Amino acid sequence: MNPGPSANKGSNRYRALHNRSVRLHPTFGAPAAAILLGAVPYAAQGDWTLGAEAALRHDDNVGDAQLHSDIVADSTIRARLAVFQLFPIDGNYSVTVGCGVAGESFFRLTGLNNATIECESALKKKWALGAFAAWSRAALSVGKSAYDDSYRNAWIYRATLAAGRRIDERWNLWADYAYERRAARAQMQEVPGVSGDAFSQGSHNVQVNVEYSLRDSVYLGLGVMGRRGDVVSTTASPSAGIFYASRALAEDPAFGPEDYAYRLLATTLGFRLGIHFSPTAHSLLGLTFTRLDTRATDGNGYDKSLPEITWDYDF
Amino acid sequence: MLLGLALAVARPGQAGELKILVRDLHGKLVADAVVVATSSDPKIALRAKAPADAIDQVDKQFVPYVKPIFVGSLVRFPNSDHIRHQVYSFSAAKKFELPLYAGTAAPPVVFDKPGVVVLGCNIHDWMVGYIYVSETPFFAKTGAAGTATIGDLPPGEYTVRVWQPGMVQSEESTSRRVTLNADAPANVAWDLNLKPAPHVPRVSGAGAAGYP
Repeated sequence: MNPGPSANKGSNRYRALHNRSVRLHPTFGAPAAAILLGAVPYAAQGDWTLGAEAALRHDDNVGDAQLHSDIVADSTIRARLAVFQLFPIDGNYSVTVGCGVAGESFFRLTGLNNATIECESALKKKWALGAFAAWSRAALSVGKSAYDDSYRNAWIYRATLAAGRRIDERWNLWADYAYERRAARAQMQEVPGVSGDAFSQGSHNVQVNVEYSLRDSVYLGLGVMGRRGDVVSTTASPSAGIFYASRALAEDPAFGPEDYAYRLLATTLGFRLGIHFSPTAHSLLGLTFTRLDTRATDGNGYDKSLPEITWDYDF
Repeated sequence: MLLGLALAVARPGQAGELKILVRDLHGKLVADAVVVATSSDPKIALRAKAPADAIDQVDKQFVPYVKPIFVGSLVRFPNSDHIRHQVYSFSAAKKFELPLYAGTAAPPVVFDKPGVVVLGCNIHDWMVGYIYVSETPFFAKTGAAGTATIGDLPPGEYTVRVWQPGMVQSEESTSRRVTLNADAPANVAWDLNLKPAPHVPRVSGAGAAGYP
């Protein structure tokens, strides 16, 4: 028996796998452009960093699905522009304030195309003088993501604590903890007694990273990560396990007319391996591979691999 | 500056010249190599005066990257960036710190001990620069062509040696004895075993630990 919700949906809500152009939400485009353009005249006068980032990523399980029949792989192109200003307070403390805009475009699952604007403020303390001093950092950020399929739109709040130390010119170690809250609009309740707020998520995230300079301008990175919190798994063939374990469910037409998103409480463990090459002092090319393994209650779980090519440029 | 130093110690009509070429083991021309010539007559160096010098900060980098100076020199650290820097050194030859400053507000620093002084900025960890504090007034730094000239040297016996930030061998191992005559320049060449000088990257995969 399929314990999931029925497929009784209006035709205009169906969003199967078909091509659509990227439509970035106008609400975010205007302020983002104003922030970036407004910052340009000052960039030459202050301790500004204007960063550009582009990435090509493949996700072999975009919907975090468990069943083979539900797994959808797709590739994305992502671009991001961010402007930060550093305010050194004294020799030990500095404050960083900045905002960024990003856009992500999927090749197949175009309903997931999205634009994000995010601002962050951080306080960093160096515990001694010099490049090899231990440091710690506390940051708060708030952002808004707008999707082509707008039911995924969400405010994103994040609080981060990080600490690290560059051991020498070659070895760099750091770790961070982040609490992230994504607040989305609750969708229509499909099953009595089960919330329709499937896309709101809270999570605790921990990462430990080490970077090694293999030779001049070539860096190897390894990150180990753990996450405890809500995950959204999308399936068209829900099992009793995912239905009863879910905290909320909602239609997820970005994946298909029969697909539903289930919000589960889960633990994710993973790692990231990367190699980066810095062709100039301001730019960085990267090739990374991320593997994530997620386990939830009632036998639910999924895994995914994310190879990625990145390019960063700091002006 | 070097010319001024040399003029202070050489007698007119009796100056010699040392022409230098520095390459790596692959024959590539080496820039930023400091060559120093020490006279067998210690009185010559004693007659030299230490001038004032400067190392600038441009685009969050020290300019020049390598600066040879004579011991006792007074060095200013003007900041041409429109931001604040915090220059420091932990080197045995000179430990100092210039608290956050902009423009030309930082007081000059006297380098009164020979040796290599590694400079850093506490705000921009990738910034690195080198001051070579020479115990002799006769020195020069190679340019992109791997060449340099130490001119107006009093004729006589000299010990010459070379230092470069990425040098694997010791500076002492590069020592040569050179006899300098007033009528013809002496040529000295080195093939150095170099590896890239270690440095903190300006951009890296370490987003969380990096700058800003």
